[in-house]
Amino acid sequence: MSGELSKKAHLGLHLFMLVFTFLATYPVFWVFAIAFSGKQTLLLADVNENPTFLDRLRAVFPWPEHPSFQSFIDVLSDQPFARWMLNSLIVAGLTTVVSVFLACTAAYAFSRFKFPGQRAGLMAFMVSQMFPGTLMMVPLYIIVVKYLGLGNTWWGLVLVYTTTAIPFCVWMLKGYFDTISIEIEESAILDGASRAAIFFQIVLPLAKPAIAVTALFAFMTGWNEFILASIFMEQETLYTAPVGLRFFVGKYSQLWGYFAAGSILVSIPVVVMFMFTQKFLVSGLTSGGIKG
Amino acid sequence: MIRIQSLSLPNLVGLLLAALLALGLIRWFGNQTLKADQHAAQVRRAVISAQALAEGVEGLLDQDQGEHLADWITPWLQKPELEQVRILRLSGAQLLYDNRETASLPRRLNKDEKDFFDQANRLKSARQSNIDEGLKRKDEIEISVLPHQLQVCAPLVREDKVVGCVWARLNTVPANPWLSTLQVVFYALVAALLFGLLHGLLGQPKSAGKAWKPFGLASALLLVLVGVFVVLNQAALNSQRQKASDSVHQTYQSEYDQFVQGVAQLGLALDPPAENRWDVDSVLRPIGTLDAQGHLVSPELSSGLSFRNLVLCFVAGWLILIFVGLGYAQRLVRTLRENREAYLFVSPAILAMLVLVFFPFLFGVLLSFTDSTIYNTDKAPSEIWIGLQNFKEILFDFDIMTRTSDGMVINFDNFYWTLGVTIAWTVINVFFGVTTGLILALILNTKNFAFKRIYRVFLILPWAIPNYITALIWKGMFHRQFGVINQVIQMFGGEPVAWFDGVFSSFMTGVMTNSWLSFPFMMVMCLGGLQAISSDMYEAARLDGASRWQQFRFITLPSLKIVLIPAIIISVVWTFNMFNIIFLVSAGEPGGATEILITKAYRIAFEQYRYGYAAAYSMVIFFILLVYGYFQVKVSKATEAHV
Repeated sequence: MSGELSKKAHLGLHLFMLVFTFLATYPVFWVFAIAFSGKQTLLLADVNENPTFLDRLRAVFPWPEHPSFQSFIDVLSDQPFARWMLNSLIVAGLTTVVSVFLACTAAYAFSRFKFPGQRAGLMAFMVSQMFPGTLMMVPLYIIVVKYLGLGNTWWGLVLVYTTTAIPFCVWMLKGYFDTISIEIEESAILDGASRAAIFFQIVLPLAKPAIAVTALFAFMTGWNEFILASIFMEQETLYTAPVGLRFFVGKYSQLWGYFAAGSILVSIPVVVMFMFTQKFLVSGLTSGGIKG
Repeated sequence: MIRIQSLSLPNLVGLLLAALLALGLIRWFGNQTLKADQHAAQVRRAVISAQALAEGVEGLLDQDQGEHLADWITPWLQKPELEQVRILRLSGAQLLYDNRETASLPRRLNKDEKDFFDQANRLKSARQSNIDEGLKRKDEIEISVLPHQLQVCAPLVREDKVVGCVWARLNTVPANPWLSTLQVVFYALVAALLFGLLHGLLGQPKSAGKAWKPFGLASALLLVLVGVFVVLNQAALNSQRQKASDSVHQTYQSEYDQFVQGVAQLGLALDPPAENRWDVDSVLRPIGTLDAQGHLVSPELSSGLSFRNLVLCFVAGWLILIFVGLGYAQRLVRTLRENREAYLFVSPAILAMLVLVFFPFLFGVLLSFTDSTIYNTDKAPSEIWIGLQNFKEILFDFDIMTRTSDGMVINFDNFYWTLGVTIAWTVINVFFGVTTGLILALILNTKNFAFKRIYRVFLILPWAIPNYITALIWKGMFHRQFGVINQVIQMFGGEPVAWFDGVFSSFMTGVMTNSWLSFPFMMVMCLGGLQAISSDMYEAARLDGASRWQQFRFITLPSLKIVLIPAIIISVVWTFNMFNIIFLVSAGEPGGATEILITKAYRIAFEQYRYGYAAAYSMVIFFILLVYGYFQVKVSKATEAHV
């Protein structure tokens, strides 16, 4: 309702929104506070034996007692976290390149050609999004690690992430290609251009925005995954950042400072990218596949 | 209608390919069994040797404090395959013997050898817990397979307690295959030749009705070929398998003789074993038995090529024959050639999807009909086939409540409990997500509302952060002692809550986390929908004297439907399969009560190692989603029609 509200009502709404926004963003502030506290505990301040209301308030207020960069420095130098970030970057980067290329070619064919199996192929991509991950893990492990011998390598993960990202990317790009007018291509064909030339020199440059969004989606697929990564990568030096983060606060360790600092380092790039692209993602999600 | 090829060439090619496939598969199955047998025999031999040595060392330690340990072991070292032997006594972490060690022994283990000490301790606790539980559950002998090597660690036992261990590393001989590829090719060529000859004798079919003849001939030849192939080669397979089994008996005998000899030489009061204690599996259950003369006898070998596998191989070959012989292959080739360009463009993506999505999926479906566990991964699916057993076990187990001495107890492992939790989880989360998102969107859509953009950016944050990080953050906040949430509760004078100890509170941790990260999506979707509604509609409604509620009910909600329904559909699937939150926040605590279907399936596969059962579980999830998807399509078509 875009009705006009009185000033008083506005004030009330602002009050509500302020409280809600504070509560909703509290976990984020909290992580920042832990990361900058320089300590590994969950508490932001020491609570003595008989804490008063204010002591407790101090312990939950998201501001570190002694702000320091120690956790950031330590997590990058003492812990192999920089290495893990690099692994993640390589895996996610390769995933992006491979899946964007494969998705572009496939989406172009689905958009521009008529061929037997076209509908079936698109449907198969869609249905594949519904395959439960747990059903695929054991076979994937057997295929990638045992048959292809790609356990403990970047390529094993890249291949798996690529195929995870492809269906969504194909649907998204096909939708975009459909909107590009076919006349330019037809005149190019008349001029004797080959399909490959048309694809690389006309269609791809026109589809840049959609490709950018697809690329970001593919990147995030690789950047955020941790289950397959923890199954495929057994050596600690090959962990990806998510596996490493979970390792900090897993069963045997409670290194919350490292976790918080690492989380911030890992999240900032994706959060920034996300803010720029969420509009496109939303439209892609609702028109394309159905999977998280 | 497929035009049946009257030509014999496709049949000839089909027969050749079919023969190659069928025979190749048979060879593969045979080799697989043989390899397994040879491997098992190698492991058994290593265990026999280690156990025999361990028994001797136990006696030596008892009777002369191990003075003659080296003398006892020397003859043992003659084995050509032996790489290294170490003997450890747990008390004092004493390395009693190591054939590679030149320094004086015994000595204390050093820091690098901690693994070895841990291994002995594992054996100790395994034996203790097996005795306590009265179950043979944990390995009492550790066997690890390395490339070309085997490591065995057998316990030294005194009065039912593990006091140390014998550790040996042995080289293994690569397995001999049963048949070469060349033999398979030879048989296939013979079949093709026969077909050509017979076909020449019988002549080309004159009418279209007789076109089945060459195909029938090829099929018959394939069947005969498979039969002949098996009859001629099965004996060789079995004799090779027998050889592997016999080698175990020989090892047992030589160990026995050596034991007796050693006892005599050192003048010990040790009796050679009267029952089989050496040829055992990893939990010390005897494999073979001793006959009246004290010779080891192995259990009877099962058939190397089961009838079921043979039928499977034949059917696979025959399908190829149908495909090529009846002309389907030609049609496929023609289609591929006509749409060359299109297929060229899609093939890389399709290929990747076939190998890493569709093939694993089919593999998973196959697994769901088997009893595959971590212990039988090397077996062919046809050997561990159990049909619908897994599904029966999942779907027809209504044992949700059990009566115990403490009253009724819910069986959290039951499928229907988990299904109920999953449905509750999905409904509650989507409900919270939609209501919160809708309310926020309505507020943010208020005309002239200040700071809209700032609120929006902050409120989107929970969605932007990778959800595994969110989950771990909330896990920290729910910490019983130090978590923020309990601090706040205590701040207002409440008692701290042990969030993960109660079913309801543990479930709520997941709900809170998931609602937190899912409301922004709904908010963004609703905002999009709200902004699409033209203000003229409200204007008109106001002129007609519609109240605020009426405007909302009759303008806003119906217009929102277009965006809300797809958003809800999508988030139902997301939430239903929201693995990360449950897995990382409550981890199914307490006792698996708050597990949802997908995390349960993961646990069955990777914590209980029941791959077949987990695959069946996942199949059930898949079918639930398929049914949901079917109705989803229907519903969204219906709403589209209305709009």
